Parts: sequence; C-alpha cells; structure tokens
Amino acid sequence: MSKKRIGMVEKSNNKRQRVNLVPEFSINDHHDVLVEILRRLDGPSLCSAACVCRLWSAVARNDSIWEELCFRQVSPRPSLSIRSVVSALGGYRRLYFLCIRPFLARLPKILWSQDQLQLSLSLYCVHYYERIYVGAAPPSSLMFLRMPVNVV
Amino acid sequence: MKRDLHQFQGPPDTRFPNHETANTGSSSKDKMMKVKEEEDGGNMDELLAVLGYKVRSSEMAEVALKLEQLETMMGNVQEDGLSNLATDTVHYNPSELYSWLDNMLTEFNPPPPEINNSFLAGAGGSDYDLKAIPGNAIYARSNQFAIDSSSSSNQAGTTVTTTTTESTRSMVLVDSQENGVRLVHALMACAEAIQNNDLSIAEALVKQIGFLAVSQAGAMRKVATYFAEALARRIYRLSPPQTQIDHSLSDTLQMHFYETCPYLKFAHFTANQAILEAFEGKKRVHVIDFSMNQGLQWPALMQALALREGGPPVFRLTGIGPPAADNSDHLHEVGCKLAQLAEAIHVEFEYRGFVANSLADLDASMLELRPSEIEAVAVNSVFELHKLLGRTGGIEKVLGVVKQIKPVIFTVVEQESNHNGPVFLDRFTESLHYYSTLFDSLEGVPSSQDKVMSEVYLGKQICNLVACEGPDRVERHETLSQWANRFGTSGFAPAHLGSNAFKQASMLLALFNGGEGYSVEENNGCLMLGWHTRPLITTSAWKLLAAH
Repeated sequence: MSKKRIGMVEKSNNKRQRVNLVPEFSINDHHDVLVEILRRLDGPSLCSAACVCRLWSAVARNDSIWEELCFRQVSPRPSLSIRSVVSALGGYRRLYFLCIRPFLARLPKILWSQDQLQLSLSLYCVHYYERIYVGAAPPSSLMFLRMPVNVV
Repeated sequence: MKRDLHQFQGPPDTRFPNHETANTGSSSKDKMMKVKEEEDGGNMDELLAVLGYKVRSSEMAEVALKLEQLETMMGNVQEDGLSNLATDTVHYNPSELYSWLDNMLTEFNPPPPEINNSFLAGAGGSDYDLKAIPGNAIYARSNQFAIDSSSSSNQAGTTVTTTTTESTRSMVLVDSQENGVRLVHALMACAEAIQNNDLSIAEALVKQIGFLAVSQAGAMRKVATYFAEALARRIYRLSPPQTQIDHSLSDTLQMHFYETCPYLKFAHFTANQAILEAFEGKKRVHVIDFSMNQGLQWPALMQALALREGGPPVFRLTGIGPPAADNSDHLHEVGCKLAQLAEAIHVEFEYRGFVANSLADLDASMLELRPSEIEAVAVNSVFELHKLLGRTGGIEKVLGVVKQIKPVIFTVVEQESNHNGPVFLDRFTESLHYYSTLFDSLEGVPSSQDKVMSEVYLGKQICNLVACEGPDRVERHETLSQWANRFGTSGFAPAHLGSNAFKQASMLLALFNGGEGYSVEENNGCLMLGWHTRPLITTSAWKLLAAH
C-alpha cells in the first residue's frame, strides 16, 4: 500500500505545519530489491529472514541467494557451468544445508576455497545418486556430516 | 556413603558445547550423585567429567537406573555381604560409572554365564586342558603381566569384571585389563593349537575365549567374538555361510560400511583423483571397473568430469561384477541409475555390464575396446585383486588382460596387511592386529544400524580368513610392497598420486569425527589411510612400462 500520508512537522517558529510525506515504501512490493538485500546476508541471518513471513520465505527460496552464500568466500569465482550441474543435483539451497553448512561447522577454521567446494560437490553428487538408487529409504551417505561428533 | 539428589536447572544449551552455566560446584564432595536427564544428555558427559566421572551421555538413563537399583540392593543386603566388599582385593575405578555400576550389581546378583552361540558354552571346561599349556600364559593369576599392546580394550582405564573360576565357582574379582591380556593369549594359544593339530586343546581354548570375550567391552569384545566364532568353525570344520553366492547381501553390507567409516570413501576419492588427472585433455574416456558393486565410486568422477576445464568428455563405463543370487540383472540396474545421473549433469554416458564369477574369466576381446587414439582407458579395482590369489595363475591372467587393455592408468585399492602367509599362525596374528585396529576405529562412530552392519561386513571377512582354506579362502590380503613386486615383475610402473589427492583425502578425513585418529600417509607415491600409526588401506596407481 502506498497511500499518501499526512504528517506533522515542527517548524522553527514553533508552528506545526501539515506536509505531504513521500509515498510509503514497502520492501514487499519490490521482490528484486529484497533478493539483492538477502543475497548479502550470512547463513544464520538468511535463515532467520526466511522465517519472517510467507512472502519472505518464498523469496528466500530463490536459488541465486544461496548460490551467493555458497560461493562467497571462494576465489576465483567458479565458472557458470557449475550452476547447471548444481541445479540438476537439487539446487544451491540444498547444497548449502546438506554439505556446506555442516562442512563449515565441522571445520570452522578452514580457508574455504575451490578444493573444499569440489569436495562438497562430490559428496552432494554421491548423495543425489544414492537418492535415485535407494529410492524410498533416505540415503545416509551424508549422515557422517550431520551426526554429532562423539566426544568420548 | 552419602548420596545426594542433584538437579540441573534448565535444559542444557546444545548450541554451545563448552557452556559453563550448569552448577556443578555444590556436589563436588559427593561420591555418587543422581542426575536427571534433560532433553539432551549430550552435555552431561562434560559436566560429570569435570567432577572426575566418565559417563557416556547415551548411557545416562541406564546409569541413573542402576544407581537406584544399587541403592535398594545395598539397603537390603546382609552385613557379611558388605564386609566381603571391604576385605577382598578388588580393583575399582569408580570414575567409569557405567561399568562400575554393572560390576557392583552383578556382585550382588551374579548372572548365569552368558552363552554367545552354540559353539561357545560359557561354563568353563576342566582344568586339565588349560594346565596342559606350558608356561603361565593362560593359567597364572598373578598381576605381573606386561600389558600386551595389541589389546585395545581399555581406552578409559581399568574396569572391573567378575568371572567364575573353573571348579569352585567362587567369585573372583579380577582386573579386566588382565582379562584382556588373557584373552589375547588365549586366542594365540588356540591358533597355535590348531596349527599343531591339537584340536582338543583348541576346543577347550575356544570355550575359554568365548567366556573371556564377554568380560571385555567395546572393540575388543567384538573382535574376540568374531575370531572365536571363526576359530570354532575351523575346529569343527563347519564351512561358513556361503559367502560366494550371497552377493546382494555383501553389497548391502558394503553400502553400510561405506556410510559408517571413511575407508571406502577414501578409496573412491583418491582413485578418482588419479583417474581424473590421467584423463586430462582426453575427449573420450573409458573406465573398466572390476569392483562395480553399487557403482558408488562413479557419481563423484562424473561430476568432476562435468565441471572440468573444457567441458566433459564422452564417458564410457564397463562394470564387472559377480552374478546376483536372484538372477536379477543387478549390473544393468546400476547402469540405469548412473545413466540417470549422467543425463542430469549433461555428461554423455555409455554403459556395459559384465557378469563374471571371477575376474580371471575375463578376456580383453570381450570388452569391445576401441583404438587408444580415440579412447583413453582406465582400469579400477577396489578390494578385488586379492581374491584372485587363491587360484593358481589367476592374478597373472588378470594382469595380462590389463596389459592388453593398455590403460593410461590402473588404480588399485587394497588392504594393507599380509594375510596370505603360508603359516596359519602368522596369518592369524596379523589379522588379529589388523581387525582390532579396524574395529577400534569404528568405536568412535555413534551406534546405529549402519555401524552394526559394517561390523558384520568385517566379521565375514574375518570368518573367511580364519575358517576357510584353499580356493574358498578369498580374503588373501597382501601389503603394498608385495603388490608392488608383483606389478613390477608384470610390467607396470608406479604412477605417483599427486598432492591434490592427498589434500582431498586429508579434508575428507577431517570431516569424519574431526579427523581424530585417522591419518593419511604418502608412501612411494601411494596413499595410505591408517588409524593412529597403523596403515589400513592403500591406494596405488600404475601405468604400463613403455617397453612392454
């Protein structure tokens, strides 16, 4: 809604004057701007943003946001051919949740580079294969990433 | 003995493993405490550890239950029962709460001796057979043992066990580390007896082993149980369940093994890296896989090929595997799934499956090879070559076929241990050390169905190794130096695995359990994955010598 609003402004001679304020700007009307903003967030903030409302949750599913998150620290930037492969395997959002986030959680001090990305992609690919191979039962090849480390 | 009820306030915060918010200071003087398990017992372990108690979070509920039981029992027991506890020499380590409680409870309620399976009756045989063994190895009860380094049972200090003696059935509380040493000595003595064909002694020892095995905990218990079963099968000449035929089961077991521990993943990733590097610049590539199984190795290679510089090559895969028990075309299914994946990631894919009882039945002409200018070929074998060593001429034939194929690279992954010596006792000793290490590395994995199946997978190998002979014995592992000799005399030269493979392997291991305990080593261009200092599997790559 961008109604014109009438506001009150204090003027220097202590008189109040009615002025017309600019039309209200709502981010929810501008999804592309929202996407641009969300792209710059880190993982936890992005997840929080996705919980704000249904609209934001839908917008946050935009894979380019997650692509940005996955590749943020990688330099040089990986080639565009990765995009088609990752989309075929299930998308960046899933890649982030299944592989990259546990990876970073396990090895927080590691310098995230091409090698780690390649390894994550390989594991992601194996996971995809298991999904189509095993069918009904959930594949567990990435369970070792998700399971809590047994500190005994 | 004072007991105190201690309540933890609020659920432990699982996001911060090092939280210091729980109040433990007030009960520091108490010897025992009851703990209430909150929604996640994962942090209890650390809190109790601060006080000096080692309790696994998974066992928390049981510990609490047992504390209650112990309390009631101590309230009910008679005067002299308690004084017995005070006067007998016992070795307690109260910080291992779980086992300490177990022992206290069994003291009050001795359970009947456990019977593992029909071979291992637990009640203890006659003294006669054990005394027949010269020396103090089995029978001495003094504490002057040197702790055998191969007994990997007690990672957390000594624990108490109760065992019944042979004829008097009085309770004797013995240091379990001593039991661990006894167990190993019993296993060795039994193997020696079998070697010398003293089957009656071996039989008595097997029963003793079964009994001792139960007194152990963790990896040692499992290893001892599997070895004891295998020894019993050998003694009674019972052939193990037909491992040759049931390939679908062994496939499933291998899948679970793949999931639980990094050995297979390591093997696949390092071999793939070698193949990827060998295929650089080639437009058409062909991989011949001697160990097709579920085809788990190839998705990662296909993905790496899809993303390589210059685009993916045309990828052709020939899978070779044993016939399936239910006559289904298992290899064909695997091929279809791989084709699905290839289509998704836009890699041109061609597949052919070959069913063969043994690799030695293969011939290069069957494989429909194309001229090497057009197609670069790689041959891959993961844990398959050692099975050929049982047949005379088997390995030579296969190496001959590989040479006819003229691959740009031949990747081999094998277990790093000599289980193929001519003397049974040596094989037994080597395999005992090897599988103890392997099971030890599995101990860190949280319990699950996968873990159990992985242990069964390894148990089958143990059974085959110990109980079978001749062509039935297929688990004939050999060390890298032995394989290198064999390959060298057949006309292969080692191809060094690059630093990329090493880096990737190290990263992969760091993801498993923090990488604690696993180690990657480079040895003459080959990569070895080991547990602590012991190498367990080796990936090596070979190419044809130009002259041949």
